[in-house]
Amino acid sequence: MNVESSTNQTQQSAMMAMLASFWFEFRQNKGALYGLIFISILAFIAIFADFISPYDPIEQYRDVLKLPPIWAEGGSWAHILGTDALGRDMLSRMIYGSRYSFYIGSIVIFFCLTIGIVLGLLAAFNRGFIENTIMRLMDIILAFPSLLMALALVAVLGPSLENAMIAIAVVFIPHFVRLTRAQALAELGKDYVASSRSMGASTFRLMFINVLPNCMAPIIVQATMSFSSAILDAAALGFLGMGAQPPSPEWGTMLADARQYILSDPWMMGVPGLAILFTVLSINLIGDGLRDALDPKMKTAKG
Amino acid sequence: MFSFLFRRMLVLIPTYIGITLIAFAFIHVIPGDPILVMAGERGLPPEKYAELMHAFGFDQPLWKQYLDYVGQLLQGNFGVSFVTGRPVLDEFFELFPATVELAFFALFFALLIGIPAGIIAAVKRGTFFDHSLMTISLTGFSMPLFWWALLLIVFFSGYLGWTPVSGRMSALYFFETPTGFMLIDSLLSGEEGAFKSAVMHLILPAVALGTIPMATFARQSRSAMLETLNEDFIKTARAKGLSPFRVTIVHAFRNALIPIVTVIGLSVGVLLGGAILTETIFSWPGIGKWMVDSIFRRDYPVVQGGLILIATIVIIVNLIVDVLYGIIDPRIRRQGH
Repeated sequence: MNVESSTNQTQQSAMMAMLASFWFEFRQNKGALYGLIFISILAFIAIFADFISPYDPIEQYRDVLKLPPIWAEGGSWAHILGTDALGRDMLSRMIYGSRYSFYIGSIVIFFCLTIGIVLGLLAAFNRGFIENTIMRLMDIILAFPSLLMALALVAVLGPSLENAMIAIAVVFIPHFVRLTRAQALAELGKDYVASSRSMGASTFRLMFINVLPNCMAPIIVQATMSFSSAILDAAALGFLGMGAQPPSPEWGTMLADARQYILSDPWMMGVPGLAILFTVLSINLIGDGLRDALDPKMKTAKG
Repeated sequence: MFSFLFRRMLVLIPTYIGITLIAFAFIHVIPGDPILVMAGERGLPPEKYAELMHAFGFDQPLWKQYLDYVGQLLQGNFGVSFVTGRPVLDEFFELFPATVELAFFALFFALLIGIPAGIIAAVKRGTFFDHSLMTISLTGFSMPLFWWALLLIVFFSGYLGWTPVSGRMSALYFFETPTGFMLIDSLLSGEEGAFKSAVMHLILPAVALGTIPMATFARQSRSAMLETLNEDFIKTARAKGLSPFRVTIVHAFRNALIPIVTVIGLSVGVLLGGAILTETIFSWPGIGKWMVDSIFRRDYPVVQGGLILIATIVIIVNLIVDVLYGIIDPRIRRQGH
C-alpha cells in the first residue's frame, strides 16, 4: 500500500460522498424524480425500438388508412395508436421517433458544450480584443430571434435533420459562452487561481483543470434546459418542413403530416404532441432538480 | 441619462456591422447562383444573365458589393422582392402592424394573467394554489407552441365552432385599412360586425402566442416577489402596520420589477420567434409568415432585408428595456455607467 493509492482511495470516497449528497438533494424534488423516471423509460424504448416496435415505422399499410386509435370507435388491436394518412403504424412511428429526440438533444448539447465552453473560457482569460470580438459575435447571433436565425441557416444549408441540429446549436451557443465567461470571471478573482498561477500552472491547466470544474454546476443546468429547447426547436423546424424530412418518424414532422387532418381526424396530432410535451417537461423538471441539488445558492425559492 | 443612452448606442455600431455582414453573407452562401435560382426552371439566355449579374452588382468584388449594400441600406433601400417586385421595406411596413397587433395582445394576455398569478403564488407560498400554478406554468413552458395552437384550433374552432380558423378578418367585410391595425380599422370602417370579427380572429392566435411568455412571467414574478418579500424593508413596512395589499403591491412588487422587466424585454424576441409559427398556423398575414413564405419561395432579398429589420426591432426593444431600468431603479441611472 503506497501513498498514491491511498490518496486515490480518499479521492474516490470523497467522490462517492459527493454523489451521495447530490442524489439525496435530487431525490427531495419529486418532480425531478418523475422526470427522471419518464426519461429513463423513454431511453429504454429508444434503445430497444427494434424489439418493441410492432411494425416498420415507414411501411405503408394501404388497406388501413387513417385508422383511429384503439380507444376510439373503429379502432383495432392491430394498430393500437391507429395509422396515419399513408397507413403507417402510429405506435411504431412514435417508438422510433423517441430516438430522434435523444439524437437531436445530445448532438446539439455536445456542440454547445464544447464550443461554448472553449469560447467562454477564451473570453474570460483573454480580456480585451479577443474577449470583445467573441462577445460581440455572440451579441450579433442573439439579436435574431433564435427560430428565425435557425430557419435562415437551414435555408442556407438545405433542409435536413442534421442541418437543423447545426442551426439550433449555433443559436444556442451564445448562451453557453456568456454563462461560462461570467462564471470563469467570478472564479478568476479567487485565491486558489492566484496560488495555482504563482506555482506556474499553464493557462491551459488554469482554464480546464482549475477553473472549469468550479464553473460546471450552472453550465450543466443550462445544458439540461437547452436539451429540451433543442427538442422543441427541432420539432418546430420539422413542423415547418425545415427539419427531419419525410418519411422519418420524427415527432415534429409527424405533427406536420397530421396538420391537414386536424378538423377531420384530430386524434392524429394528439400522441406526437403529448410525447413532445412530456419529454420536454420531464427534462425541464430534471433541470430544476439538478439546479437545486448542484448548487444550493441557486436554489429557486421553494415552498 | 443621455450620456448613458449615447454610450449604449455606440456599442450597437459593431453589432450592426455584424448583422449587415450576416445578411449580406446570406445571399452569397446559399447554394447555387442566386440569379439562376430566381430564374427558376426555365433558365436564362446568357445576355440576360449578364445583364442581371450587373444589375444586382454580382460582377463586382465582394468588399465593394458589401459597401454598396450598406450604402443602399443607409438610404433606406432594402432591396426588391424577387417574387412581387416590390421594395422589401414597403412590404415590411404593410405587414408589420399585423404582427404588432398579434404580439401586443399576446403580451397583454401574458402579463394580465402571468404577473398577478405569480404574485399570488408568492404571497400564498406553499399552498395548493402555488403548487398548481407552478405545475401549470412549467407545462406551459414546455409546450410545443405549434401543437398548442393546433389544439386550440381543434377545440375552439372545430369542436365548439366559436372562432374562425385563420386570417384576420371575415371575407364578408371589405374596407380600407389606413392604420394596418385590424381592431382600429374595423372600428373606423363603421361596418357592423367587423370589429367583432376582428376580435374573434385575434383571440386564438394571441392566446397561443402568449402562453409561453405567460408561463415565464408567472415563474419569474413569483421568484422575484419571494426574494423581495424576505427583505428587511418589507418587515419594516409590515411592522408599521401597513395593509398587506399595500405591502405586497407598493413595497414588494415595485422592487421585484427589475427582473420582471428583464423577462418582458427578453420575451419580445420569443414573441417574434413564436410569431413565425403562430402566423404560419393561423395564416396571419404578418412578418413571421412573410419570412417563412419567403424562405420557401427562395425570395432572398426579402429574407435578407427581413433579417436586418427584425434584428433592429429586437435591438430597439433591448434599448428600451435598458432605459426602463433607469426609470424603475434610480440607482442604476445615477451610477452613470
